[in-house]
Amino acid sequence: MVQRFDPFRDEKPRLVEYAVPRREGMTVLDALLYARDYLDHSIGLRFSCRQASCGSCGMKINGRPRLACYTQVDELKVERVLAQPMDNFAIIKDLVTDLDSFFAKHKQMTPHLVRADTQEVEHPTAEFLMSPEELERVLQFTYCIKCGLCTSSCPTVATDSKFPGPQAMAQAYRYTVDVRDEGGDVRLEALDNPHGIWRCHFAGSCSAVCPKGVDPALGIQLLKRHVMGGKAPREQGEGAKAWKAQSPK
Amino acid sequence: MKESRLMLIQYGTAVAAVALVSVHLIMQGVIYPYSTAISFNNMLSIYQNGFYAIFLEALLVVVLVHGFNGVRIILHELRQSPPWTMWVDAGTVVAIVASVAYGTRTIILAIFGGVAG
Amino acid sequence: MALGEEKAKNRRGIRGWLNPYHYNAERWAYMFQRVSGVAILLYVLGHLGDTSFFVGGPTGTGPSASSWKFIGSIFENSFGHLILILVTLILFFHGTNGIRLILTELGLIFKKPSAIEYPYRAKSLSSGQRYLIVVAIVVAALSALWAFLVLFEGMG
Repeated sequence: MVQRFDPFRDEKPRLVEYAVPRREGMTVLDALLYARDYLDHSIGLRFSCRQASCGSCGMKINGRPRLACYTQVDELKVERVLAQPMDNFAIIKDLVTDLDSFFAKHKQMTPHLVRADTQEVEHPTAEFLMSPEELERVLQFTYCIKCGLCTSSCPTVATDSKFPGPQAMAQAYRYTVDVRDEGGDVRLEALDNPHGIWRCHFAGSCSAVCPKGVDPALGIQLLKRHVMGGKAPREQGEGAKAWKAQSPK
Repeated sequence: MKESRLMLIQYGTAVAAVALVSVHLIMQGVIYPYSTAISFNNMLSIYQNGFYAIFLEALLVVVLVHGFNGVRIILHELRQSPPWTMWVDAGTVVAIVASVAYGTRTIILAIFGGVAG
Repeated sequence: MALGEEKAKNRRGIRGWLNPYHYNAERWAYMFQRVSGVAILLYVLGHLGDTSFFVGGPTGTGPSASSWKFIGSIFENSFGHLILILVTLILFFHGTNGIRLILTELGLIFKKPSAIEYPYRAKSLSSGQRYLIVVAIVVAALSALWAFLVLFEGMG
């Protein structure tokens, strides 16, 4: 069953059933593509890599956010598979959702290294060194493919449109504790508000649904300590202060 | 006040509430049998014990601050318009002050009010 | 304006808070923590009201045995005691789970992030803090049993 809904033509969503021949190893994406190719060409569907690398095919499958390409029909252990668009994202059409606000919230977290030595950043003369232990601190958070499943599952995102969401905050942690970064204070200030990091209550669903093992809930809880202390792990350099002064609120 | 400070208060009142509520329940159900604990004469004697009165006041403040701050958080998550935010913040303060005042009135009258029939 | 603009927003709303079906144990604990918190606050406000009858209610001036007896006649019965047992149950769950949340939200009981291998197991959803959810449920159940013994069996 697929939830069909075109906001410009329909008043409310409806469920349409498609009979798809099952084969071993078939993923939900395979089933949807069969339905689209042979049964109903009008199904709105977003996908790309088919191998859980791009994060495009995020949707709600049998009530839980999953990647369609990464979910085998057999693992669901049901006769009927229900595919719906991800919760908490505006619907463009059918299973395709609008990710603009999701990416905007990610951008608000200054998701890149901020350093004082901008000359070195622009024209590097050597690598920025990181020990294996320092890399391990951030590595799992770098695996984020921005699929949106975590944000879709978050109970706070369900009602709070100003809440950054687990993906953005996990990336805020990833950059704040990166030993090469000096702009942590910028991110901490952005998160210390009534709709910021403190509206996370560790429901943990973000980590439960993440297909890449990022564990955003861990990053968020660890970041709370820094926000509570009001201080990033490293001092802001002059370049970082300049970045903060010129970045929009 | 920064949200992190408010959360520090929320965590602090949470821990204090666990401790104080535990003591309160021990007083009501372990130190004395329950029926004795809530009898008028027993209540009168423990209210007029200064330490218990201070304890009750602390319990009152801690529980109500924690509770109403929790509701403030829930209401902030529910809607995000500036008027709503303003009214929720103001309403929280009013609710805390009003309920603490009413509870304090009970404690003060219990200690200083003349015993009626 | 699109015909289905409202539905297109697709926010789950309060159902997102209250319906943890399909999700993990921590999500269930979050739902119970929120519901129990509101319920406890409502009880506390009622408790402020009924204990004020010790001093004659909203218009009283001091300790009054008759006023206290009156409020006792309303609440000191089997139904009232059942309510108290329920309140004790949710109170102890809320408090114990709250301690778990303080420990987890300040990152105090998590393992450090490290390199991960498939199949991925989130460290935040570790058994350590999950045991504390079980502890909260057990503590709540034991407290309800204690409350029953105190209120109905006169233990104390």
